[in-house]
Amino acid sequence: MAIRILLVDDHPIVRQGLKTLLEGRVGWEVIGEASDGAEAVEKARDLNPDVMVLDVTMPRMNGLEACRLLRRQSPQLEILFVTQHDSPQMMREAMDAGARGYVVKSNAARDLLAAVEAVSQHRVFTALNSRQATELH
Amino acid sequence: MKLRILLADDHEIVRRGLRSLLEKREGWEVCGEASDGREAIEKALELRPDVVIVDIGMPNLNGLDTTRQLVQLDPQFKVIVLTITDSDQVIREALDAGARGFVLKSDAARDLVTAVEALQNKRMFFTPRVNDLVLAGFLEKGHAVSRTEAPKLPTLTTREREITQLLAEGNSSKEVASLLNLSTKTVETHRSNIMRKLGFHSIRDLVVYAIKNNLIQIELPPPPSPKSPTGPTAS
Repeated sequence: MAIRILLVDDHPIVRQGLKTLLEGRVGWEVIGEASDGAEAVEKARDLNPDVMVLDVTMPRMNGLEACRLLRRQSPQLEILFVTQHDSPQMMREAMDAGARGYVVKSNAARDLLAAVEAVSQHRVFTALNSRQATELH
Repeated sequence: MKLRILLADDHEIVRRGLRSLLEKREGWEVCGEASDGREAIEKALELRPDVVIVDIGMPNLNGLDTTRQLVQLDPQFKVIVLTITDSDQVIREALDAGARGFVLKSDAARDLVTAVEALQNKRMFFTPRVNDLVLAGFLEKGHAVSRTEAPKLPTLTTREREITQLLAEGNSSKEVASLLNLSTKTVETHRSNIMRKLGFHSIRDLVVYAIKNNLIQIELPPPPSPKSPTGPTAS
């Protein structure tokens, strides 16, 4: 299944790592990148991705605020947080902001592909270090 | 002959990004990867890379202590430290530890290739801010201590620093003993010595010390987004 993905993280090296992982999947395409929440909102409007992979801590506008705006602007977009915050509280905030998925960067290599697949099909996917990955149908 | 590079970062995603960046250069090869400082030292001794790239914030053994130990084991090891912060203290510690390169993670896509090239040509590479510090003479031996600098804390030994980091990360004495191949009693003795040297009474004090002295790094909650009159607004 073809999935069009927008990557948002303030570190180009992290975006590059995510990209090499994602583009290993046939039919998955990284259609754009952004380095902060404000740019993410603009690019989502311009490029109309299926899935946004979004960091939390970023300059100018953080990921949580971007997510809230995007929920109103682009309701069809599914948002997956990939973040350093291995915290149930942060995960709850992210899901309350309108995200469909939440994985921790330290496990991104393990969880990212399954997470993107799940959220692209509108299924919830969450995984913290302290908890097993959870996919809700 | 290929330039061989060892990558040490606890995030596989970051290592992938670094590898992708570095292996675009003809003649460069990532010969190995490590996810913590201890593994980095083992692999460096086994693989003898030309350059070691080390993240500062790694579990079990942080990047600064990894650098220090590598250079002590063999001064030929050329280490580039990758960090999210360029505070004066971190810069000084990286240089004191023997790093030959210092690159901010946010600028790694721009600076890391240049840094590796510099080390390949037997030169050092530091971000501009570090160069400023060198020019200001902060790194001259015997330079006067700033009046605002905190009084110097007692020096911990290498082993004590290792144990401090592991305890601050939440490991029990038994777990630390297992990680370091020591007896629990030895770890308990080190722990008592550390607490006595530093004048601490609780693990909380030790955690704060570890954070302030860059033995561990913490991720802070994201600051609220600055209000921008030109930013996107809700529809």
